[in-house]
This record gives sequence, C-alpha cells and structure tokens, in this order.
Amino acid sequence: METNERSSGGTMPDSPAKANNVPILQARNVSKHFGSVSALENVDFELYPNEILAVVGDNGAGKSTLIKILSGAYQPDEGELLMDGQHVSFKNPMDARRHGIETVYQDLALAAALDIASNLFLGREERRAGLVGSLLRALDKVRMRREAADHMSSLKIGLRSMRQPVETLSGGQRQGVAVARAVSWGKRVVIMDEPTAALGVKESGMVLELIKAVKARGVPVVLISHNLPHVFQVADRILVMRLGKRAGIAKPGEQTMEDVVALMTGASRAEIAAAAG
Amino acid sequence: MAESPLSAAPVTEPSVVSDSGRKGLSGGVVSRVDLALRLGLLGIIIVVGIYFAIRTIPSGNLSDIGQSTFISTGNLQNIARQMAVVGVLAVGETFVIITAGIDLSIGAVLGFSGIIAAQRFIAGWPTPAVIVTVLLLGIGIGLVNGFLVGGAKVPPFIVTLGMLGIARGAAYLAGNGLNTSLSPTGEPVPFSNWASDTSLLGIPNIFLVLAAVGIAGELFLRYTRRGRYVYALGSNPEAARLSGVNVLAIIVLVYAISGCLASMAGLLQTGRLNGANPNNGLGNELDAIAAVVLGGASLFGARGNIIGTFFGLVLINELANGIDLIGADAHVQQAVEGLLLIVIVWVDQWRKRRIASA
Repeated sequence: METNERSSGGTMPDSPAKANNVPILQARNVSKHFGSVSALENVDFELYPNEILAVVGDNGAGKSTLIKILSGAYQPDEGELLMDGQHVSFKNPMDARRHGIETVYQDLALAAALDIASNLFLGREERRAGLVGSLLRALDKVRMRREAADHMSSLKIGLRSMRQPVETLSGGQRQGVAVARAVSWGKRVVIMDEPTAALGVKESGMVLELIKAVKARGVPVVLISHNLPHVFQVADRILVMRLGKRAGIAKPGEQTMEDVVALMTGASRAEIAAAAG
Repeated sequence: MAESPLSAAPVTEPSVVSDSGRKGLSGGVVSRVDLALRLGLLGIIIVVGIYFAIRTIPSGNLSDIGQSTFISTGNLQNIARQMAVVGVLAVGETFVIITAGIDLSIGAVLGFSGIIAAQRFIAGWPTPAVIVTVLLLGIGIGLVNGFLVGGAKVPPFIVTLGMLGIARGAAYLAGNGLNTSLSPTGEPVPFSNWASDTSLLGIPNIFLVLAAVGIAGELFLRYTRRGRYVYALGSNPEAARLSGVNVLAIIVLVYAISGCLASMAGLLQTGRLNGANPNNGLGNELDAIAAVVLGGASLFGARGNIIGTFFGLVLINELANGIDLIGADAHVQQAVEGLLLIVIVWVDQWRKRRIASA
C-alpha cells in the first residue's frame, strides 16, 4: 500500500508540494474518550490552504468526533489544535467560529421561514446610514439584499430572488444558501458534514460544484462524506479513518476507490477486488 | 465550471425540481398566500359588517341604511373602545406567538394591573407615577415568565398558566375580591376622563393608544435586528443561536413586552370603566390568541404580524358587537367566534397545503 500509514505527528511526507506550507488548521495527537470507549486515538489532521480534504470512514470510525473537535463542539482529552501554526483551543462552537471555522451541518442551521438575504445576514444585520439607522435602529434591507445577491452570484449560485423564504427552496438550493452563509464574512475554513446525503443526483452535482467554487475563492474545505464517488470527484486528499484512528491518506488519481475501501475496512486490496469482481 | 451549480432551479431547470422531489416556489407565492389570507379576512369583515348594518336599520327598510345602529358613529366608537383593550393584549401576544411561545397570563395580568392602578389613583398618586408603576409591574411579571421559559426551559404553556393563577389570585387578594371604584365620591379622576374621551375626528383616545402600540410593534418586528431575531427564533432557535443571536435575551424581551402591554391594557380598562374588578380580563388571553391566529400567525412560530392581528381583532369585535345589537344571546357570540376561528384556520391550512402541492 502506497498510502501513508502513520500514527505519529510530524511533517507530511505524502504531500511534498505542500511540505513547506503551514497547515491552516491542524490537530496533533488528539484523543477523545467517552467513559471507557475511546472514540479517537492519537489522531493527526492537517488542512492546507487551498485544498479540499475529504474525511471518510465507516460508522464509528471517529469522523464525527474528529469534526466536532475541529468545530469546537467537543474538547479533546489529549492532543492540541493549531491554526497557522499557532496553538488554539475552542471552548465551544462559537469560539471556533470566531477563529473563522464555519461548519455546515447536515440538518442545515437555517431559519427556514426567513428569506435568503435574512439568513445570509442573520446575526450581523446591517443598519441604515444616518439617524434612521442609529436612532431608530432601522435595518438596511435593500443593501443586504443587494450584497446577498452579489455574494450568491460570486459563488455562482443562481437563485433569483433574495426575498424567497428558504423553506420554499429545494434541498440543494438550501445547501447552497447554507454554504454561501458559511463562506461569507471572511471565513477561513469551511467544514461540511454530509452535504450531499439527502440530495438527488443532479442536486448533488450542484453542491459538489459549489464546493469547488468555495475552494476557488481561496477557502479550504473539509468534506465529511460516506459517498466515495462524490469524494473522488472533488477532494484533493482523502483522510481515511478506521476504528478511531487515522488509517491513512489517499489521493484521487494516485489511489483507487478500492484502495480507500481497503483502508476503511482493514481488508486487503485483493479481498476487495475479489468481492467486487 | 460549465454552468452555475445552483442556477435558479425552479425557473430554468425544472428537472432539478423533480430530482429532489421538492417544489421550488418562486418568492411571490408565499406572500401571495399571505395576501389572500389577509384579503379573505377583510372580505369576511366587510360581509359581516354589511349584514349587521342591514339587520340594525331601525325601520327595517333598506333605504334607511344611513340610520343603521351598527354603523352609527356612537357604535363604531364603542367598537373601537372595546377593541383597544384586547388589542393591546393581542399586540404583545403576537410577539410571543411568533417565537412559537404562548402567553396565557395576560388576561390575569390585566386584571391585577387594573386593581393596582385603581388603588394607586385612589391613593392620590399623580397619573404619570401610576402609569410607570403599573407598566413596571407588567414588565416584572413578563421578565419572570421570560427567564422561566428561556433560562429554566419550562414550557411556556406551563409557565404562563401558572402565572395566570398567580396574577389572578393576586388581583383578588389585592382588591379583596371587590369592585374598586376610582371615584367613590363623585368626580372621576382625570385619567378616567381621558380614557373615555374621544379626540380628533371622534376617534377614542384609547384606540389611539392601540394604534400607536400596534404601529410601533409592526415597525419593530419588520425593521429592526431584534425584530428579525423574533422570527428567526420562532423558525429555528438553533440556527439563531449558531448565528450569535442571544436567544435568552430575545425570549425575555418578548415576554416582557407581552407583560408590559398586558398591564397597559389593565390601565386602559380601569380608566375606561372608572374602576377595577379583579375579574377584569378573565378569558381575554383567549380573545387575544384568537385574534393573532385569525390574523395569520402560526402557533408553531415564525409567522404572523401586527397588521394581521389587527384584522383578526376587528372581526372578533365586530361579531361581538353586532350579535349583541341584533339581540341575540351573548353566548351565541362566544360560540360563533369559536366556530369562526376553527373554520378560518382550517381553510387557511387547506389552502397552504394545496399551494404547497400545486
């Protein structure tokens, strides 16, 4: 197997092009236990600028525990987190958000009854200029709609009316709004949890294109997915988890899906090929 | 990339809609539903109004419609006065219901505040001092409700049902269960005169209070950050929290507004009746909730506004007044109001479902 079986920290031999690059977000030797169950054991993670990193693994492999640590929902029992090589610790998800890590959750944290512009600006609404804004606290809805439309079109999300309530959108369009929201306002890392899980073929394709558009804007993406074909379509690197450990790193183009399945399950490639054939 | 990833699916790529199995409605549809509901309600208000106008012509002759009791200035002023008290309650209830909460305590808070107001007037306090005291009382009760709902996570139905009991009990205890007259010896207090008076164009003063409160409420909900958070909270509290909205603060705010307006309604009621009874406001919370729901709000939150609530109020008060005028039993009015509430919300649900599956 040509993938890197590693369990210790250090530089990344599997990405020589990025070897002199500092990871934008990094975890070193993190472990997490729930009672006697060890959900994560000495796992390393590194996300480089301008890449799409997929995290794959079977149920219980530790994907979500790792992601929850990176997004501040859990605190690691051991190990450390770094951003741009500097130590960080996230007490809660808001803390991670303040560091520019935005997570798009499976259940889409949008206020469905509000329109697209309101959702994009939720929590950071802009007021009107002058006394109307400062004294009467009136919102500048026109400006927010215009900026929302600009932002959506810069991500090539072609929703026409920013006044459309999110609940009237299709699943893929909602995902689009959630992602647009995540990459707005100078976010540095976007984590997406199963973004295509509930979507049809065509809508999944749109979301995958959107993930590439996010990367093209210079925002690296961590993509958690069960769907290997989707992962192979967009990911630059694939972090494979197995039984709470880092099983290895694969690269589309250098490794095949069978290789990744072998890493995920611990079976040999020959066994996988035999099963597939 | 060859094409935009999410190019306006419902319009330019109908296949996307079938892929996902969801209908992408254009933005206008929902507001059209809203408008249809509003116009439907307005239509009912007009039809019912015409019916009562015709039924209350003294001569019974259609050409004497000008003499109709129902549309006489005096009666319209009467309706406006009756509307004002429950209306102020309903404005506060609208805020709470948009957050997917409910405030059952407002009728009892009205009663309690009314007694306290009457006693302070009798004690000779100046009017502004009475107003401030009573409004602070309502805000205090609302704050307790808000912290119990938002902080202690007790369901709003339970918190405010409990508060209903507490406030109603307090009203009886404070008033010794008796009527408290503002002027046992004769002259009404100035506030009472003002509350029963009409102003410019013959509009009753307390109706102007309702108008001011309603307009302020609508502007707040529509144009301010916190107003928007009220809807966001009703739609998805988790999304609001993740967006950095202080959810507890918004919950406390809406219950404080509701409590404040309930005590304002108590104040107006006491002024209008030139006295207070601990039974005042009994069941008024249900009238307020009915008005809010008739106006298009959803008990599941995130829907509704003050304009809709106002239409709901007009219909309820028009019915109460008209049924009274045509000499029907007062209990008929209660039954008709209940029936209407069910039918209108039912039709509304049916229409929404039909549009959603169109």
